[in-house]
Amino acid sequence: MKELDLLKKDWQKNAASFQQISENEIYKMIHRKSSSIVKWILIISILEISFWTFSNLFINTDEVLRKMNHPEIVATLEFLTYFNYVVVLIFVYIFYKNYKTISTTIATKSLMSAILKTRKTVQYYVWYNLGMIVITAILSFFIAFVYNPDMEFLREKLALNGKAMFVTIGILFLVILGFFGLFWCFYRVIYGTLLRRLYANYKELKKIDF
Amino acid sequence: MSENLEQSFVAQLQANQNIIHKICRLYTAGEDAHKDLFQEITIQLWKAYPKFRGDSKFSTWTYRVALNTAITLYRKTKRTISTVDYENHQHFVKDVDYNYEEEEQIKLMYKAVYQLNDIEKALVFMYLEDKDYQEIAETLGISEVNARVKMNRIKGKLKKILNP
Repeated sequence: MKELDLLKKDWQKNAASFQQISENEIYKMIHRKSSSIVKWILIISILEISFWTFSNLFINTDEVLRKMNHPEIVATLEFLTYFNYVVVLIFVYIFYKNYKTISTTIATKSLMSAILKTRKTVQYYVWYNLGMIVITAILSFFIAFVYNPDMEFLREKLALNGKAMFVTIGILFLVILGFFGLFWCFYRVIYGTLLRRLYANYKELKKIDF
Repeated sequence: MSENLEQSFVAQLQANQNIIHKICRLYTAGEDAHKDLFQEITIQLWKAYPKFRGDSKFSTWTYRVALNTAITLYRKTKRTISTVDYENHQHFVKDVDYNYEEEEQIKLMYKAVYQLNDIEKALVFMYLEDKDYQEIAETLGISEVNARVKMNRIKGKLKKILNP
């Protein structure tokens, strides 16, 4: 292509025509803070992991359950709590391992894939927590309904009225759906703005190298 | 990090800074964005410097880190800079005499290159820098054959932009 060769000639001729930055300025630059997307992803990820881990610590249903006097339920929930700790540790480990592979000295495609992987780990952690919340909500509803003596009155009423039962379950379902929708939107906004360009470029590279 | 390391880094970067300027010129519009990207690339180079062992040349290493920063890590780049005039892209460039016959064509070519996407720009950049396809492929993480095919497609795309 003739025009491209022309451009190349011009490009190489102008290679040294930039205003030079002094050593002093470079010294100043290397002590400034980076504003790269990796840094933002790290900050947001740590916030997310801490938020979900702490929120688990504060959701405390033990008191209510003890009152019901069903040791098998208490034992199940205790197991779930420990299971949760193990899951958190595994997630943090995978996150750390993925984060360590992010380096500007590797090939562009690998770098992008490392960033997306790190990001995905956190995303899975959030979905895991949302899933746990839904399971806990359904379980609590069920336990409260079946075992709680205070619910006896309601139970009898609902058993007589199939329509009311249907509406109750429907509302519960809608609440869960709304909850998920809210989080989905939230993530679309945060990571949409942060990763849109990265995704586009990654797709482009994958398209070249099918 | 030791002062020695800092000193040798700054000296080498100062001597090789045109590589970074050239990337900034392709990926940003305007003086502020140019400075901003230059700074981010400098920070990323400095962060990666302890791992630089000198088994490749400082310049080769700079190409990779700088391109990765421009394509992947940098946040503020606006994608819609194709409408900005070529003149605006002359930021940081001192006056250079042109052969007036060719000047117009070169102007149009620059304009066309700015319309390419980030990845295509990277390929063109390395082509303009006289890098061989092996290095282009290694830097981007694609195969050599596919780098060649893509470069041919980019040439076609540029032709189309020039003669719509």
